[in-house]
Amino acid sequence: MIQIDNVSFSYDLGKTNVLRNISLDIPEKKVTSFIGPSGCGKSTLLRCLNRMNDLVETSRVTTGEIRIMDKNINAKDVDAIELRKNIGMVFQKYNPFPKSIYDNVAYGLRIQGIKKKDILDAAVEKALRGAALWDEVKDRLKDSALGLSGGQQQRLCIARTTAVQPKIILMDEPCSALDPIATAKVEELITELRNDYTIVIVTHSMQQASRISDKTAFFYLGELIEYADTDTIFQNPAQKQTEDYISGRFG
Amino acid sequence: MDTKGHILTEFDDALTSLKKNTIAIGTLAQKNLENALSGLTQRDTALCNQVIADDEEVDQLEMQIDNDSLQVMAKFRPFASDLRMVISSMKITHNLERISDHAVSIAKRSRKIIKNSEIDEISYIEPAYHQALKMLQISLQSYSDSSTELALEVLSMDTDLSKFHKQATKTYTKRLEEPCDHYKTYLNLVFIVRWIERVGDLATNIAEDVIFMQSAQDIRHGGDLED
Repeated sequence: MIQIDNVSFSYDLGKTNVLRNISLDIPEKKVTSFIGPSGCGKSTLLRCLNRMNDLVETSRVTTGEIRIMDKNINAKDVDAIELRKNIGMVFQKYNPFPKSIYDNVAYGLRIQGIKKKDILDAAVEKALRGAALWDEVKDRLKDSALGLSGGQQQRLCIARTTAVQPKIILMDEPCSALDPIATAKVEELITELRNDYTIVIVTHSMQQASRISDKTAFFYLGELIEYADTDTIFQNPAQKQTEDYISGRFG
Repeated sequence: MDTKGHILTEFDDALTSLKKNTIAIGTLAQKNLENALSGLTQRDTALCNQVIADDEEVDQLEMQIDNDSLQVMAKFRPFASDLRMVISSMKITHNLERISDHAVSIAKRSRKIIKNSEIDEISYIEPAYHQALKMLQISLQSYSDSSTELALEVLSMDTDLSKFHKQATKTYTKRLEEPCDHYKTYLNLVFIVRWIERVGDLATNIAEDVIFMQSAQDIRHGGDLED
């Protein structure tokens, strides 16, 4: 689904590569976790996948290429906005628009030009049901999204993402601001979304990575140290650096 | 990246304590086995009684190790080699507790044997006993030293133990087939040599747990150790 081939990346026009020679294939309709200490490059790599780093003028993929559905996403003829239609993103801090619950979910569809109420109604319900939020909000769809709890707001953001039916969902520490119950609900949601979407998640929680992901990649100082099935990474990693990190010996 | 102890020193302390207690229960189980056999061969009823009393300490330590292991898992959520160490220590402890139970069974039968007159054939259990004891000692050393090589050595010793067990059993059953005054003693010795053989099996289990702890490979039930 996503092929990352020998990718190096720089925020300063190539003077310093914060990612160096990263190669990994991310499988379709699986959950892949990126783990590693702060500053290891995992979020940078995640943002390379939907070209979010384009917002930093001096950022560059300095070597290699990223192919999504067999297309080099940094090719000149690829429009970043078009690319992002297929790649949803959920952030660390839930960020619903200051609009109603309904309008948040319908936002992306309206941008795509869909105006018919019955189509929007059906899509909003489907997305909210998919995010396990429908039963909690169905009677107050016109209320402000900002009145929801933190966990509900994050699930609303996931519903907003899935409403436009992307192929891939990127998640950057989606549970770091949530309490354990809300975290469990989002994790449950992620395991269900795996049936329909390719999910890449950055997380600082080893337990979360081991619970919800099929594949795990461990990064350190801008390099990919190990990439394998999650069971292997957490039970018998091949690299000592991986073992030291996941077992809390890092230092 | 340095490879140090855990960032949480309490985690290191808990694992160190777990290992120390597992070695301690091993030492107690081994001592109980040795005392049970000494009680038999030296016809020492007091020593046999001591084995039965000392088993209580093994039982208590087993429960403590189980509890400590659960605490480690709940508090520190160990992964990879740490998780295998905790799980293996629990399993090894269970095997050691069973060995101590067998020592108690041997001690109880020995008390009965001692009540009757002495026979020379008791010495037939010695090859099996020495082999089983050596397997137990090496398996405990393999855990203590985290040594796959020593664990593999234990596995290689099982064939000889089976041979010694069969030889002793054959001798005693042959005696039982003939009219004799010591049939109860021979029957008790058949049981004892069977428990000794079980000690060897349990030492093999310990060695397999050590191999799992060290290499993450499950070689039980005929599995081969890969490089």
